[in-house]
Amino acid sequence: MIKLYIFLMAFLLSVVQSTAQDMDSLMRNISSDQEPEAVTASFKSSRLILSQTTTMVKKFDLDFKVIHRFGDIGGTEGGSRTLYGFDNSSDIYIGFEYGISDRLNISFSRSKYEQLLDLQLKYALLQQKDKNGSPISLSALIKTGFTPYKVNTTIFNNYGNRFSHFAQAIISRKFSPNLSLQVSPGFLFRSVVLGNGDERTLFSTGFAGRYKFTKRFGIVADYYLINSDYRKDNPNISFYNPLGLGIEIETGGHVFTMNFANAKAIAENNFLPNSTSSWGKGQYRFGFTISRMFTLYKPKT
Amino acid sequence: MYAAILIGLILSIMPPQGSIKPVFLTKNAEFTLFSEAPIENIEAVSKSGYGIINTKNGEVQFGVSIRSFRFRKSLMQEHFNENYMESDKFPVAKFKGKLNIPIDISKDGEYTVIVTGDLEIHGITQKRSVPGTIKVSNGRLEVNTVFDVKCRDHQIKIPALVFKNVAEIIKITFKGTFSTVT
Repeated sequence: MIKLYIFLMAFLLSVVQSTAQDMDSLMRNISSDQEPEAVTASFKSSRLILSQTTTMVKKFDLDFKVIHRFGDIGGTEGGSRTLYGFDNSSDIYIGFEYGISDRLNISFSRSKYEQLLDLQLKYALLQQKDKNGSPISLSALIKTGFTPYKVNTTIFNNYGNRFSHFAQAIISRKFSPNLSLQVSPGFLFRSVVLGNGDERTLFSTGFAGRYKFTKRFGIVADYYLINSDYRKDNPNISFYNPLGLGIEIETGGHVFTMNFANAKAIAENNFLPNSTSSWGKGQYRFGFTISRMFTLYKPKT
Repeated sequence: MYAAILIGLILSIMPPQGSIKPVFLTKNAEFTLFSEAPIENIEAVSKSGYGIINTKNGEVQFGVSIRSFRFRKSLMQEHFNENYMESDKFPVAKFKGKLNIPIDISKDGEYTVIVTGDLEIHGITQKRSVPGTIKVSNGRLEVNTVFDVKCRDHQIKIPALVFKNVAEIIKITFKGTFSTVT
């Protein structure tokens, strides 16, 4: 008889439990039915040190960027004579990037280096989503650079020689709230090359990452592997793959990056073919990026 | 004796009699958050709130994905997810509670109710009693509620720098129509 009571008690309990579980499992089913949402801010800005990122400027927003690279810290051009490079500016970049839509950005910028003007379109083909959505973000960009002024040769007398074009696929993944990594293969097409044997079509792969220590502070690293036989075995000029290391600070509307990099130039059209500075020889420089986001128009939610 | 146990076993394997449950659900309820601060008022809306109400035992559950909230300023949306709600770590906010009075679904009518239970936001659970209204009409439940959430109660930290931009107390409005499970 006691057994029976125990059993009945257990049975009643199981019935009560099963309805409670039903509510919970129903809730789980409903929540898993929800549309996957895009993962936010794989990177805080559309630019790290050297690389652009999969992060897009949202619709009606304007991102104003000022990027600066000082002179060599060490080596023959550095040292206390130039206040460790602060007397020189290797490159100054001023750019505007606008969100035509959340997925399509247009940017216009000007660099001190070669007085390059460039116009770029970037499109987000895939956005990393939670649940069963895409595991990665993928953006593609095309960029045309134009050198408007006469340099010291007559080579630019032919107008076509003033253009360079850059196309890149950017693939990123936010692995955790703190860690985001990115790979970006790309091609640079130039009409004018540095010398005999220099590839008109230069292939490069960028590797970049961010690790956040707090919500608003992290480290960033950026490296470009440049595939070029001309650059590898050149007896006259030594080329070095660009490497940048820095910290990133977000203060609400601004994102600041402070970094050290061997590359002198800021735009891909400039730094990919022309990086002849070496970390080992003290030819690295301090640099910063200031990104300020403006909301030009606020649509009703 | 053993026969009784056997019957008990069979009964327990069979689905319980109350399998046609008075359970109502929604998948597209509207959650609005509103922050009133000296510099600016901030509003965000999610149209994919979900919930279930069991009118038999008074059980109520709500949930919403933090990432589904849309702001007028995209940068605010990013900061909301990244800096305040940490939606990578805590992707949903939920409420699990019980109604204080029974709801008669057999006829139309309006009830002022209080739901008491656990509110989980930002991974922190708080015991809350939330007032609301439930209107029974044509076999559906129209649910409305407005309640406040103190950021501090859920360890949502607002830096002193933006104290004038973001309110310490956020007003949450919920609006949803629940229909029976088919």
